[in-house]
Amino acid sequence: MTTLIGGEMLLWSDLDGSHGPAPAQGDALRSLTSKACGRTLVAGPHAPSLLPAGDVTVLIRGAEDAPAYATHPGVTVLCGSLEKLSGSYDTVIALDGLDRLHSAEAPPFSWDETLTQLRAVLAPGGRLLLGMENLFGVHRLAARPTPPADTDWTVPDDRDPHRPAGHARLLARLESAGLDITHDYAAYPSLSSPSVLLGRTALNSPSGALSAAIAAAFPRVAASDPAALIDPVRLASTACRNGLTVELAPAWIVVATSGEATTSSFPELVINAEPVTVSSLPQGRTLEDHLLAAAQRRDLPAMRALLTTWQSGPSAGVPADRVVLTSVQESSGALVPLASPGDPLKALRAFASTAIAGGYAHLWPIQADETELTAVLAGMTGRELDPAEVPPADHPATPSTADLLSDRERLTRELSEAKAKHEWYEKMLLHREAEVKRVRQMNALLSATAPGRAATSLVGGLRAGKRAVRAVVRRTRGN
Amino acid sequence: MPGVEFGVHHANHYYGHSHVLARYCGLDDTSPPRLHGYLQHGWNIGDGMAPDHEYVPGIPKFVWSERVRRRAWSLGRREVYVVGSPWAYLLSMEPAASSEPREGTIWYPFHGWEGQHIIGDHDGLIREIRETETGPVTVCLYWQEFRDKRVRALYEKAGFRVICHGYRGGWWKDLDPGFLYRQLAEQRRHSRVASNRLCSAIMYGTLAGCEPAVYGDPMQLEGEKSAFGGQARIVREWGALHGKSIDVPLARQVATAELGADRLLPPAELRRLFQWPSLREDPDFELTGVLTR
Repeated sequence: MTTLIGGEMLLWSDLDGSHGPAPAQGDALRSLTSKACGRTLVAGPHAPSLLPAGDVTVLIRGAEDAPAYATHPGVTVLCGSLEKLSGSYDTVIALDGLDRLHSAEAPPFSWDETLTQLRAVLAPGGRLLLGMENLFGVHRLAARPTPPADTDWTVPDDRDPHRPAGHARLLARLESAGLDITHDYAAYPSLSSPSVLLGRTALNSPSGALSAAIAAAFPRVAASDPAALIDPVRLASTACRNGLTVELAPAWIVVATSGEATTSSFPELVINAEPVTVSSLPQGRTLEDHLLAAAQRRDLPAMRALLTTWQSGPSAGVPADRVVLTSVQESSGALVPLASPGDPLKALRAFASTAIAGGYAHLWPIQADETELTAVLAGMTGRELDPAEVPPADHPATPSTADLLSDRERLTRELSEAKAKHEWYEKMLLHREAEVKRVRQMNALLSATAPGRAATSLVGGLRAGKRAVRAVVRRTRGN
Repeated sequence: MPGVEFGVHHANHYYGHSHVLARYCGLDDTSPPRLHGYLQHGWNIGDGMAPDHEYVPGIPKFVWSERVRRRAWSLGRREVYVVGSPWAYLLSMEPAASSEPREGTIWYPFHGWEGQHIIGDHDGLIREIRETETGPVTVCLYWQEFRDKRVRALYEKAGFRVICHGYRGGWWKDLDPGFLYRQLAEQRRHSRVASNRLCSAIMYGTLAGCEPAVYGDPMQLEGEKSAFGGQARIVREWGALHGKSIDVPLARQVATAELGADRLLPPAELRRLFQWPSLREDPDFELTGVLTR
């Protein structure tokens, strides 16, 4: 049943993603929404699969989205703008954030005002599940500016004093609204479909499995997508290493209660949409981290040892950024794979690609070419490998604008070096030609002298003799 | 134009260096392939390359030690790669027989000048060697001095055995693939290696198991080119390696680092970096699957 509460947009859908970002979705969020209890309000665009069981009311602003929820049993659909909503709910789910709760018919409300409206429908002892996009997240730092979408009749801005800018301010704002924060998560790779949620306890864990999970969370960039300014994965990994996992997360999710609430167990950590306990993670940095650190300090013997251990063990087919070395000591640690193994050469090639993209190619006196470097890396493990035998990458990375610029610089340099080499070879060639000419002239001169002529006639005589002997042999055989 | 004529590649064959590396790589060591890059060919306190080298941008420079790589980088050199010295590779292929008896000292008088100046110096040096060394002394001369009968006679008269690692008929016109092998065989017969200057031979000998000593007049001449600080810097920087009796473990440690014996590459990696053919391209390997060398 759908009730129009006022302010509804009849020709509008937030679910189909055609007017703006896709709705909140994915199994990672499902692990949070499933904890809802009592009367539940799902406010804003959420994929129908996120709806918890029980007494659920959905608030949407586009009438076209109503049928998607109508099929769910026990779900009440309210269509309209948040300021028209009344009632009291034990759980309020707003994982899409506060920016898509009002319709185009409503006057613009600030973030603070929106929170107040949502807070008003939260029952005493109720629980709020709130998402918020980080306007300074890695996804924004890496992306090129895009033209505003249909949904952007007003645009969220971090200069707005009525909108908390940064994670700490978000928490402070919720607390000052009389809420107790029980859980908060850094969400990767985006607000609408995160696959990694890092809880507070997880952030204190030094496990490389976390940065590996964050790196793996980013979707592969399709060739048709607009090029990023810089590789968001590299940026996120760097943020992670520098203790900025939360500050630069694309989004945050907060679970807060209004006064005393019933206890509920939220996951410490969600990786690849699965709840995980922090203690179950392998302790140690990723193999890729160790390899690149060794490369940076030019410790090639350590790199050879690491590569050899990796490529001669069961983790050979697992990419280096998906393997954790469970010790600070490179020599004594064990390799723990975080993914199932594939072709070892593809894993090696993926590392070569990372090394080139990361600007490490100059460590080897070869051209920065993936197959060439893969062959050298194989050589570092003692394995003979021809670049032609290196398999193609499954998903060739789409270069970012920064990569393209550095590629151009590198190619310019390589071209000028190739020209210098060419000039050098030219000089060598001229020199050798002159040498050959000199030797030929000397030969001609020597042939003209008496001993030279004697030698020539001797050789000529020998040849004539050989011919005569052959003729005799042929004749004898013929008879 | 000595640096230009054969450029990069000729120097790589000095002392049979590329021959040793070719053997390590499982390739034909009688005729090593062209090595694509400059190879450091002596112990060096500069950027690893000879001062008269003509540099072609983009051509890799293969140096012996990490310390030389850092120094070369700071001097603006790029494409510098540490591969270790051919001597260290040779030692890894020719492990010493433990029963081999060692006796006396192999002495390398510093070479490099011609004319009468050094005759007097040789006299002084001979006196000091006699005073210091207790066992039999073998003097190893540079080929130019070895060919000089007067210089040779000086040392022979002093009762020393006089040799030259590189003396083979007409070798100075041709390359000498046997140089390092002869040097190693000689050094392994002696328990001490000495010279009046810290040089490649001292490093080699130390790594080959000799006790090193550096003493006697270093024969510093006026007007001697002292790039990168010259002899004065060697004495300053490697002071602990000078004297008639040197801390052997320390010397071994320095020699290991300077000769890159701790950073040898697997043959497969070396072949790729030098752009040498892989074993599979070797016709012998094609036929039988094994290399007989």
